[in-house]
Amino acid sequence: MLKIENLSFSYEGNKGKPGYEVIRNLELTIGDNEFVCIIGPSGCGKSTLLKMLAGFEKPSEGKIIYNGQEIKSVGYERAMVFQEDAVFPWLRVRDNVEYGLKVRGVPAETRKEHVNKFIETVGLKGFENAWPKELSGGMKKRVDLARVLANNPETILMDEPFGALDAMTKEMMQEELVKIWEGSKKTIVFVTHDIEEALFLADKIVVLQHIKNGGEAEVIEVPFERPRTVKIKENPEFQKVRRRTVELLKKYEREEE
Amino acid sequence: MSAAKNISRKLLLTAVFFIIWTGVISVFQIRPIYLPGPEDIINSFIAMRASLPSSILSSLRITLSGFLIGAVIGVGMGLLMAYSRTFMNIVGPFMEFTRPIPIFAMIPLFMIWFGLGLWPQILLVALGVSTVLGVQTYEAVRNIPSVYINASYNLGAKKSVMFKTVICPYIVPHLIGAIRVAAGTSWGLDVAAEFMGVQSGLGYTMIVRQMYLDTPAIIAVVLIYSVLAIILDQIIRLIERRLTRWTEREKMSF
Repeated sequence: MLKIENLSFSYEGNKGKPGYEVIRNLELTIGDNEFVCIIGPSGCGKSTLLKMLAGFEKPSEGKIIYNGQEIKSVGYERAMVFQEDAVFPWLRVRDNVEYGLKVRGVPAETRKEHVNKFIETVGLKGFENAWPKELSGGMKKRVDLARVLANNPETILMDEPFGALDAMTKEMMQEELVKIWEGSKKTIVFVTHDIEEALFLADKIVVLQHIKNGGEAEVIEVPFERPRTVKIKENPEFQKVRRRTVELLKKYEREEE
Repeated sequence: MSAAKNISRKLLLTAVFFIIWTGVISVFQIRPIYLPGPEDIINSFIAMRASLPSSILSSLRITLSGFLIGAVIGVGMGLLMAYSRTFMNIVGPFMEFTRPIPIFAMIPLFMIWFGLGLWPQILLVALGVSTVLGVQTYEAVRNIPSVYINASYNLGAKKSVMFKTVICPYIVPHLIGAIRVAAGTSWGLDVAAEFMGVQSGLGYTMIVRQMYLDTPAIIAVVLIYSVLAIILDQIIRLIERRLTRWTEREKMSF
């Protein structure tokens, strides 16, 4: 269980210049095994929020309680899938996937088992000995995902992980992620600016407003049954919820004009 | 390009070079003291054949040990400076102050401090190599994309493990260029060091032959130096190819 309590965050200013505020008084609860998407205009602090959940940034005020304890540092139980390509180019696919287990001192036997399992899960069987430079962008994301999954975190934090992929690959990765999540029941916090992606993936969507509009967070429950396939994107109900989300996102736009 | 074509082209270029060389000497009537012909240089090799092996060995000892000691110290210092802010705060200003000092200006001091013999020479080469590589290593570490460091911590690595598994492999390809330059420089440092204070070696041979105005012998020694430098460079490139198979670097084609 993730409880975000009265959270504020400001970036510090450089050399005496005033910093700027990104998040103000945010309250949010994310339950275990939930798939939550955070969506919002650029600059609304959604990536910053994810960094705080991971422990890379510390809140300026308020706190984040994770399973009863305040988050103070980075921990492998909260794994991050980065927006950029984070696969280590100097390690072969197998060694990349094994990395977390190895640095944590998991015995070799167990490591091998996990690595094989998750390489297969993400559909990279046969590429174990490839160098990352030999893989496409989509395949590298799979390696990244397998590396995180093999490390067996409780929560996976994803920062627009499919943002750099082409539409086809993206859809395929979304479908696979949903399948993996349905099979493993982990908590996933997924930041995106793609409404369809959020609707297809999430149990609930958090629409985060820009701080200049108050920075409020509104939650939309996504009503679609699981297991889901991409077909639901054609469902009229899907389009209706989509419409509502768009309107919520654009709530403040007219006032700006 | 096929290998046979490549070799024949190189042979042709070599032939052209020799024709121009001997041609210039005979057309302009240049005396061997200024520019000796190929046969003068070959004769020098033959005349020096008894002393050459020990000279080469002596110079190799200075250059290679200096280069290796300097590389280990330089890369180690660079890594330590990046690893520990405290270390950086202590050593950084000192490095800033000493780096601009011309290395050759240290030769007389080194002789006073470390006496005659091989050590002042070796240390001079080591100092030159380590200052170059210390700075380069530090810069290479600073340029690492933060996403790799964050990913490593996020997967459960401690700082020391992150350094070993992320920073060290990442900087290798970025250091190879600097290491090759440093290796080249170490030959130059060896020559300069030998001009000052040893009784054997290739640089010493050059100084002695210069007193006799023996230009062919000097050129012969220069040729030996360049062959040694090329061999060392090739060895480094061989190691580079093994260590950096993962990089995207392709053969240059533009």
